[in-house]
Formats: sequence, C-alpha cells, structure tokens
Amino acid sequence: MSGLSANKGLWAGAAAVVAGGLVLIAADAPTGGDPGVRTFVLSNIYIASSGDGGTCPVMADGGIETYFKMLPPAEQAKYADPAHPGQIEQAKRGPLEQAMNEHFGFRRVAIKGGNPGGKQVQAKLPPDFRADVTPTPEQAIEIGALNGFPKGRGRLAFSNLTVAYSACTNPEDFPALGKGFVTYDGPVSAGMNLDGKAGKEDFKGPDGTPGVDNQLWRAVGCVKPFREYGEPKIAHKIFISARAPTLIEIRDIGDPRNDPDVTVNVYAGADPVVRDGRGEALASSSFTVDPDPTLRASVKGRIENGVLTTDPVDLKLNYKEQIVDAPRVFRGARIRAVLGDDGRIEGSIFGYYTLASYWSSIEQMTQNGANLTGVSCPGVKAAIERYADGYRDPRTGKFTAISSAYNFFGVRAYIVDKAKS
Amino acid sequence: MTGTTRPLRSPLLWSAFALLGACGLAAARADEPTAPIGPSQVRRLSEAQYRNTIADLFGPDIKVVGRFEPDMRGNGLLAVGSSAVSVSPSGFDQYEEIARGIAAQVTDKEHRAAQVGCEPGPADPKGLACARRFAEKFGLQLFRRPLASAEAAAWAQRAVQSGEALGNYDAGLAAVLAGMLTDPRFLFRIDMPGRDRVAIDGYSRAARLSYLLWDTTPDAELLEAARAGRLDSPEGLSAQVDRMIASARFAGGVRAFFTDFLRLDEIETLSKDALIFPAFSSSVANATREQTLRTITDLLIDHDGDYRDLFTTRRFAMTKALGPIYDIPIARDGWYMHEFPQGDPRAGLLTQASLLALHSHPGRTSPTLRGKALREVLLCETIPTPPANVNFAVVQDVNNPTLKTTRARLQAHLDDEECASCHRRTDPIGLGLEQFDGAGQFRTRENGETIDIRSQFDKVDFDGAAALGRLLHDDEAASTCLVKSVWRYANGRDAGDADTPSLEALTKHFAGDGHRFPALLRSIATDPAFYAFPATPRRSPRQVAASRITESSR
Repeated sequence: MSGLSANKGLWAGAAAVVAGGLVLIAADAPTGGDPGVRTFVLSNIYIASSGDGGTCPVMADGGIETYFKMLPPAEQAKYADPAHPGQIEQAKRGPLEQAMNEHFGFRRVAIKGGNPGGKQVQAKLPPDFRADVTPTPEQAIEIGALNGFPKGRGRLAFSNLTVAYSACTNPEDFPALGKGFVTYDGPVSAGMNLDGKAGKEDFKGPDGTPGVDNQLWRAVGCVKPFREYGEPKIAHKIFISARAPTLIEIRDIGDPRNDPDVTVNVYAGADPVVRDGRGEALASSSFTVDPDPTLRASVKGRIENGVLTTDPVDLKLNYKEQIVDAPRVFRGARIRAVLGDDGRIEGSIFGYYTLASYWSSIEQMTQNGANLTGVSCPGVKAAIERYADGYRDPRTGKFTAISSAYNFFGVRAYIVDKAKS
Repeated sequence: MTGTTRPLRSPLLWSAFALLGACGLAAARADEPTAPIGPSQVRRLSEAQYRNTIADLFGPDIKVVGRFEPDMRGNGLLAVGSSAVSVSPSGFDQYEEIARGIAAQVTDKEHRAAQVGCEPGPADPKGLACARRFAEKFGLQLFRRPLASAEAAAWAQRAVQSGEALGNYDAGLAAVLAGMLTDPRFLFRIDMPGRDRVAIDGYSRAARLSYLLWDTTPDAELLEAARAGRLDSPEGLSAQVDRMIASARFAGGVRAFFTDFLRLDEIETLSKDALIFPAFSSSVANATREQTLRTITDLLIDHDGDYRDLFTTRRFAMTKALGPIYDIPIARDGWYMHEFPQGDPRAGLLTQASLLALHSHPGRTSPTLRGKALREVLLCETIPTPPANVNFAVVQDVNNPTLKTTRARLQAHLDDEECASCHRRTDPIGLGLEQFDGAGQFRTRENGETIDIRSQFDKVDFDGAAALGRLLHDDEAASTCLVKSVWRYANGRDAGDADTPSLEALTKHFAGDGHRFPALLRSIATDPAFYAFPATPRRSPRQVAASRITESSR
C-alpha cells in the first residue's frame, strides 16, 4: 500500500472528525493527502540533453579559454598544461584569470564590505548610499563612475554585494571573448513541437518526432557545463534550487491512469528540499507556498496512460542556487510528466524561455563563475539572441524568448498554501 | 590563563567520600542487569542533571564541553544505577576538563561582572574578601549546602594564592571554581543525616526534592527553606512541593523521569540503515524523543490527565521534521499538538516512532524486542536473556522467498521449543505492532504480503496497536509498574520487602487520584519515608578495591 493511499484513508477519516477537538482540515490545510490530489516537490529542473543522438564535434570555449588562445605563444606557455598542450593548467587558472581581468579592464568592487566572491576592492560610495537598500541599476552605474568604471558601466553582481564590469555584465563590450563559442548543429534534440510547424530550424526528437522546437539547445548545447548538467545520471545526483523548490499539484484526479480533465497548479516552495538517507529528496515533507502571486500558475491538463500533459501556460519558476537568484520565466509552457505509483514524478517543461530571465541566470554567474565553469558570457548572449524564436516584441520586431526543453523529477510532498485560506 | 588552571581539589574530601561506598560498578555495562541495588547515601549526578545544574547556576550560554562518564542503568533505571556508580580515573579526567572549561567561561571578560561581581581594590587589596564571597556563593550553589566558615576561608585563601602564583587574580578564582566542580559534593548528591540520624537533613531534603521534581539543583527559595528548617515540617514540605509542582520547571522533572523510564536516552545512539529507512536520521530520531516527551507532558501536566491515557491518546506532539515519518502534512512551524482521527492506526505511545524505532533492529522490525520492552519497561516484568548459541538465521533472512513476513519468520524460529517459551511472552505483543516498520512508519504490506496484526496479549485477543494500547490502558499491572518505577526513580534504589506496604499504598492512592502523575510525585515527595537516612551497606572486597582504584587517580 502506498503512503498516498494510506493517507487518503487518514484524510477521509479526518474529514469526518470535526467535533471533539482539533479540526484537521482547516481553511489553510495542506494538500497532498486529499483524495484526487497528487502533489510533488521537484529537486532538480535541468536543461534536457539531446542524449547520444546529438553530440558536439567540439565544445564551446569558455571566456578564459578563448583568452588563453588569444595569447602569444610565449605568454600562453606560462599557463599551459605541460601534459596537455593547448590546455590551461588547472593550478594556473587563477593567475590567468587575473591577467585576463587586467587585460580587459574587468572591475568589481564590494559595496557592503567583506570579500564576496574573493578578494575585493571596497567601493567608493555616494553619500546617500544605504547598505540596507539594494541599489537601482542607475545607482550601480553611479557607483561604477565613482570607482573609475568606463562611462555608463557598472552592474550589480554576486547577490547584489558587488558592482562589476566584465564580459558577463557587458558582453557587448567584449565580443572577442565569444570567438571560441560554438553552437549545436546536430539534428536531434529533446523537446516538443511548440509552434505546430516543422521548419528547417527544427530538430527531430530522440524518437524521431519531427518539428521539435528547442533553439536554446542549439544555442548552448555545446557548452560543457550545460551539457553535463543535462545528463540524467548527473542530474539525478544533484539538487538545484533546493532552497526554493518548485511544487506541482495535480487536482481533480478521478482515474490516476486516465483522466481527461485535471487541474495542474505550479507553486514556488518557501521551504528547502531535504536529502534523505539515500541522498535523494526526502518524500512526504511539507512545503509552504511562497506567497508571491507571480510564482504560481494554474493550467488544465490530462492524464493518458499515467502520463500527464498540460495546456500551454506561462510559468515563473524560482531558480536560486548559490549566488544566482534568477527566476526562470517560460512562456507557453507545457508540462509532460510520468506519475509513478511510488509517489515520484519525472517529466519535462517545454516552452519559450524568456531571454531576459535566461540571461539573468548567466549574468549572475559573474565573470569568475563563468571562468570556473568554462562559459563564455559573450558567446551565450550572442547565441540566444541569434536563435531566439518566440514571442516577438511588436515594438522592436525582435524575439523575446527562445524555445527550450527542461527535465525535472521530484517526489511526493505536502503543499501548504496559506493564501487559499 | 584561566583555561589551563588546574583545579584546586580537596583530597581529604575525596578520601572521606570513598568511605561512603559509592564505587564498584563504574565499569559495568550500561544495560547489564545487576543484583538489587539497595539504599545508598550518595548518587552521582547524571549528565543531564549536571548540565541542567550548570545552566541554572551560570546561565545557558556557559557551554559544557566534554564527554561524561557514562550513566549506568540499574535494573532498568539510570536513577537506580546512579546509586551504584563511582568515577573512574579517566572519568575524573573528563570531569576535570569540563570543570576547567566552565570555570574559564564564568571568569572570562564576558561573564565576570555578572558571575563574580567584585575584585581587589583599596579596601580589599589582595581580593581575599572578594574571593571569600565567591567561594561562599558558589559553594552554596554547587554543594547544595553552605560552606563552613573555615572552609570558605580556606577556599578564599587558596584562590588568592593561586592567583598570585599564576599572576592573574581571576585565574585563582577559576581554579577554585574548577575545584568545586570536581568536588564529590558537587558530582554526587550526598545525603547527610539530620539531628535524629533517622532522617536526612534539610539540605539533603532540598536536593532530593529538586532533582526529583525538577531534575536540577535547588533554587534559592528551596535552599532558604532548608536553612530555616521548613522542610522538616509536613506543612513546610508540602508548601515547597506544591510550589515546585506548580513551577514551569516541573516539566523538566517529568521529562527526566520518562526519559529514564522509557529509555529514551538510548535514542541518542540509535541509528538505522539509511538505504532501508531513508527518512530516518539522527535529527529525526531526536525529534521522535522530543515528540514522546511533549506528548507526555501535554497529557500529564498541561491537561492533568490520566496516565493510562498515554496508551490510547490520539493527541501527539508534532513538528515538521516528523511529517515524513508519520506521512502527514504539517502546516505549522515549531511544535504543536496533532490529533489523529478515530480509526487511524496511530494511537498511544506504543505507536510513536520513538519507541517503535528504539525497539527494532537497524534494518527491520523486531516483535521480540518490542514485546520484551513492553513487558520489561511498562509492566516491570523480567524476560530472560537468550542463550548465547541461538541460531537467528531464519529470523534475520528478510529476503526469504517463502517466509515473507516477520510473523512467518518468527513462527519458523519458534518451532524450537526452547526458544518458544520466552518468545511466547514477547512476540505476540510485537506482532500486533507490525504495521509499523523499523523506523516507526506505517505500512500494511511486507514483501508484497498483507501484514496480519491479529494477536494475543496475556491470552486476550487483540487486533493491532490501538487495541493493544487499550488493553494496556486497562491493565492494572501497567499502573502498578509506573508507581514502582517512579518510587525506584525517586529513591535511587530497588524496592525491598519492607517497601511493599508503601508501594501498595502509593498504588492505591494513584488509582484513587485518577492516575494523576503529579499527584503520584506529590505523594512520594511528601512521604516521610522518602527522607529516611539510608543505612550504609557493608562494602564488598570488590567495592573496596574499586574505591582504591578510584582513589589512586587523585
């Protein structure tokens, strides 16, 4: 007997017990144990890899790799790995990064003290600066000017603890660092046909389905860390945004295997996902829903042979990981997921990832983070703008989002939505 | 540096203390059954009592860092074992380390003003008067009785001399404090005779009361009552007992008893196979213990409930960390009282994860362990230990393709008549709890087979844990066992034949009072017999030898 079915009995009993003490089902009672409702917490939402059917002949260079290749041979030799000519020696990435910073004039100054992200120069601050208030973009530029940044430059970085100028804050200033960037040109990609068309830019799915829209994979599918984190074997071992996970609630389930009309609610959790003794997400934990109304969505869906598919819906999903706090905004997203009898859920989100929210997640890595992971911010920026294919801005005529495919998995959870009271 | 100051000891006191007879069983295993433990004049502070005492006297921010000499369970109770344990040489070293750490904190810059409150000055150039006030204050608090004038003067003199030798006045004070913290009068509760030498004196009464009702040292009011002789009169004693039971600290005393009685201290070292029970962790284990203690105090203190209802209550203390174990949604932060609905399998302490997990194996349940614990702990029965050559292969083979359930595997084991005689007393009880796995999580199937929870308790049929709880609720033996256990806990010894009338009277009053636990403690705490001066038992050669070993560490 699954825990869920055991709890159905519990809740059915609870519904009957109103007198004689505590009322279990209150206005803000959590869901998850109610009949006809299944609820989950997602421990990872990760970019869907194209798998074995779509490899990269060469991988994209990160910014620091590109800089390394730009160096004259004698200079390059100072940082090269003797065992692997043409590659950077691991121990010399730090000095190389320092040389790169100096060469390009990258700057970062701490605005709230300490040494966020490493050794920092303390910023000269305007007289009206308040440490308890996050500066506006204009104030960040003002701080940049006070500290000798190029005119009009200066962006908040590292969880708003620094103001920086680099290839990640201003990729347009450093196109040279995107020269080693390559995109994915294979024929296969995960994803689904979002626009109902089968154009020449579209991929085939791993199962041969034509018309798959996943231009984000075309843009960044050869960036090593993204490809690695998209591998299911790796993805299953890590939690992403565990401190602010995404919650999925499926209501109005009649037949758990086949139901043509269910309601799917997506929430942001305000409690962290905890690992169990196996290192997996702890099942049956309770999660409070983040009260921010922009972080919740509701959409109709259907279950066919145990597979849930939703109608299109706009989603804003928390993505808080280390110094990154960049909610993922998907337009016209469909959820497709397998609901396991063991209480697990595994599936995908197919939709148009807005360029602004995607770029925010890259920019917030900071130059140092991009160097550590081998990402070229100018390369990524140029690629996503080039391949963007959704939600054209009528004013500029440019696309504002890019088709994408993300996978996720999660376990059974209880959802406490106090806003419903 | 105060942190490295050696404590000032009283060698003569340790010698005198050794003659009191607290020795001999320091090396016994914690779970080893012992012969009946009789009256003793001394009882070693438990680790919890030590910590509570330090927190009460110096504040919760004073850290007690170090490993304590393990407490010993004496015939089921640590409180009884406390009358039979001494301090080993290595244990004394630990106490010394802990004492030095405490003394260093108490006299450091952060705490000195509040704790010491004086310093050398023009009127007291050497600081002798200040040191004396320091010694008198902490002597009274730590030894639970005032220092004699000459002794206070001696402690003060030594503090000043030590401070001069170390070039730091406060280091001298710290040395004195560390010395007091390693003094047997602190580490042991020592009963001193009253004037009639039949009963213990007022300060000894205060200590008995305080550690029974609060599990910590007497407060100023209780010490004052002892000084004024008010604890020698029934009225004065009753007034203090009533005050203490009405205090918020009473919950600490109740928690201490049930921690000991239900062996909840053993949860500290409980571990489970993480692959089999991934939801169970050490933090969850601690939460299960807290749940049980909060459930108990909620019923017995906050609602002045009937002790027997602990076996049937559906009102469990709950917190988010336990949600996955109980598989219930938790909508609140912090602890709250959760009511399980009628018909839910969770009812009574027997269905709480603490006891279910504690009396299971790391990777599977054990109806035998659960049944044994119920009989020994809750019914005060004795189950013999199994012979050393028992073959457990069948029971342990959880992957046996034909014996899929624990019940089936145990049945195969019981085909051995020699084993069956004891297992018949334990296993049927535990089989009724089989719907809860080794981590206390509810289940209805084991290896794909439906778990059968129909069983028998003392020839009465029952169906599952809730029904078993109802049987225990109505079983007089459970109430009688509680009374006996509380009495043994309070007196720190096993009951003898001469104690039978007292126990019978207590049991009768307990039932008459509606099985109210505070009333039971009140009966004991106001009974003149509780304050009888213990006769010093004759010491065996082994005890003498052990005391010498203890002495050699001085």
